[in-house]
Amino acid sequence: MADWPVVHPPADPDTGERLFFDDHEWDTIEAATARVIPTDHDPGAREAGAVRFIDRYLSGIGYVYAAADGSGFLRMSGKLADAWRARIEDLRETYRQGVRDLDAIARERFGADFVSLGDPEQDAVLEQVSGRPRPAPVGLTGEDGNPTIQVYAFDDGLSFFDALVAHTRQGFYGDPVYGGNRDRVGWRVIGFPGPESLKDTIDGTYSVREYYVQDYDWGRLIPHLRGVGRA
Amino acid sequence: MQYARKPDPVDVLIVGMGASGATAAKVLCEAGLKVVGLDRGPWLRPREHFSGDEIKFLNRTYLWSDPRVNPRTVRTEENETAVPTPFSMVPQMVGGGTVHWAGWLPRPRPSDFRMRTLHGDIEGASLADWPIGYDDLEPYLSKVEWAFGCAGLDGADAHEPYRSRPYPTPPLPPTRAGKRFYEACEKLGINAMPIPQAIVTKPYRGRTPSNWTSFWNGYGDPSGMRSSTLDTFVPEALATGNLELRPESYVREVTVGPDGRARGVLYIDADGREVEQEAAVVLLCLGAVESARLMLLSKSRQHPDGLANSSGQVGRNATFHEYLFAVGLFDDAEPLYGFPGNYISGGSFQFYETDHDRGHIGGALIGASHVGQPINWNFPGRPQWGGAAKDADRDFYNHAMKIGHTLHDMPVASNRVDLDPTVKDAWGLPVARITHKAHPNDIRLAKWQVDKNVEILQAAGAWKTIPVYLERGRASGNTCHQHGTARMGTDPATTVLNEWCQAHDVDNLYVLDGASFPTATGVNPTLTIMANAWRCADHIAGVHAKGRTERLPQGRSGRAAAPTS
Repeated sequence: MADWPVVHPPADPDTGERLFFDDHEWDTIEAATARVIPTDHDPGAREAGAVRFIDRYLSGIGYVYAAADGSGFLRMSGKLADAWRARIEDLRETYRQGVRDLDAIARERFGADFVSLGDPEQDAVLEQVSGRPRPAPVGLTGEDGNPTIQVYAFDDGLSFFDALVAHTRQGFYGDPVYGGNRDRVGWRVIGFPGPESLKDTIDGTYSVREYYVQDYDWGRLIPHLRGVGRA
Repeated sequence: MQYARKPDPVDVLIVGMGASGATAAKVLCEAGLKVVGLDRGPWLRPREHFSGDEIKFLNRTYLWSDPRVNPRTVRTEENETAVPTPFSMVPQMVGGGTVHWAGWLPRPRPSDFRMRTLHGDIEGASLADWPIGYDDLEPYLSKVEWAFGCAGLDGADAHEPYRSRPYPTPPLPPTRAGKRFYEACEKLGINAMPIPQAIVTKPYRGRTPSNWTSFWNGYGDPSGMRSSTLDTFVPEALATGNLELRPESYVREVTVGPDGRARGVLYIDADGREVEQEAAVVLLCLGAVESARLMLLSKSRQHPDGLANSSGQVGRNATFHEYLFAVGLFDDAEPLYGFPGNYISGGSFQFYETDHDRGHIGGALIGASHVGQPINWNFPGRPQWGGAAKDADRDFYNHAMKIGHTLHDMPVASNRVDLDPTVKDAWGLPVARITHKAHPNDIRLAKWQVDKNVEILQAAGAWKTIPVYLERGRASGNTCHQHGTARMGTDPATTVLNEWCQAHDVDNLYVLDGASFPTATGVNPTLTIMANAWRCADHIAGVHAKGRTERLPQGRSGRAAAPTS
């Protein structure tokens, strides 16, 4: 792991090359990502290239880990490579079956493949696949349950719908080296500065120091310091 | 199986080169002992391998232990079949958990070492005093803070116990969310302070603080600004010429001689060959889960129930510090920013000591934090897809904060680590099975504290608050803190280790990670683990290696009671 070579170059955001999906699968997943993060007055998953991100990810184990400086991708070996080969194989099957399911529901309810439907019909299909209504806006009430949160979020064992949501998010907000977040649109939409390149996060070029409080006085923030005469 | 030529025996063999193993390596190598350090994972080079890649570090298993390679199973009750679950998956690599951590470095409090004296026997819990007290550890807390690098603000914590040295470097500036927290605390009369952090904020011991990316919690740091043993104690131990570090060496068994003492270990090297390494002293430093697992895997005629397990206590009384919190969403114009700081800003020890009016014992260190990085920031109920999801990200990513705490969970004898009867890891060995059900005190403490955190968020002006309690008493292992599977104590019938973390049954076997903790404490454990490892390594070099024995007197007045509020 310490000496994995850098092999594939970064994903080219302008390429039309498809590494895993066939044309129909590509179009279907692209349409589905565009319902997960829709285009409105801001770009959405379609403009960010989330489908390219997912296609690269599912192509094998060549696009799993970017090199630290973003110059390409690591060629894994050993037990971790074996684990990833099996994981990607499972995800491929999840996606292939997922596309078939989207189309089956679309044809049954609306008489056409998923990709040919309008937005409301596509949303209805996704609601059925997810087993839940389309999420409502955040309001003052409405949560049920209070699941805890992990620092990490792996995709082992996810259903097609949950994988689609997770990967669309990664393709919208992840580093552009992976083929999504084209022109860093995802970051701009939410006001995350984000580095120009991964290399900039290594050498100190990228900094969020300006987002800390600039003008502060510990003695004003912490009354106890005034009491002990340290401020 | 191929066998490699047997290497020469060494003075000390360390299994696991994370927080405790690397600390022990530094101390023992500097004392002139010959040490071999084994780690099951890789030896990465921070400046070549780490950067701010959220997908690689948080969504794929680059640092996290891969659940397909190192599975772990979890259940709540003894009669259930445990389910594979990525529970408390500390990175298995040189540097261990200090590579990926946020780096909270708070000190424990005197009361943490005397829970049974203070509270007696609590039904359903196995409370115990530590055989050491705060005063025994204090010099080593200071040693770690200064050698490892730490940032904190002297005098800010009104509840701080005695410290012999100030903080080596000042704290990071407050984040915007941190400032809101300080203001809310002042309004409510709560003493808040910057949480001590394993980071250097000015040039220090050859390190330059240059990583202001906030790709911190969960990431490796390419700059050496955040303190990790990979970047400090490991190179310092190597510089002595006394450490030979062998990464990607998977230890499958501690071997014993005819006398029942540890002879060495059997491990599988990076090329798949089996190697036996002998040593005069063996230190287990794999983390409380994996150290217990290795002891249970090491069955022999002399130790039929697992190594050093004549008490039957190996694996028991496991505690895991579930992280619980409340999220506040804000609708005012001033952004809080969701990214700088990343899990550390202001905190408070105001609620740490027991107050019987609250209906539970113990308490919590609370900390204000951000909600995380763009892909993985989250709050319970966040819409998952569609326009509502996009709006939630746009409206709240920079307008949210959390106040959380790691749960000071009660030790329970049946909460334990043992060997799963069916699930094997990538080497074909039985994996650690966690059996864990929260004690009622855990649920009450979490409820009270999360509600208090909600109150602070409201005082900070939150539009909406979302509490996260200990749901159904089930822990998720989300802190990676693990302790208590090989308790230290004075009685060999009820504890596994003595006060030097030396096995009662095997005098040349030590367990230096969090496994030795009789109780969980309410603070992030790594500073305590490292200070204790340093203390025990001093004992190994200064007493054990010289063929002497020494016991720490018990019941001293120096182990002072904590003030109760």
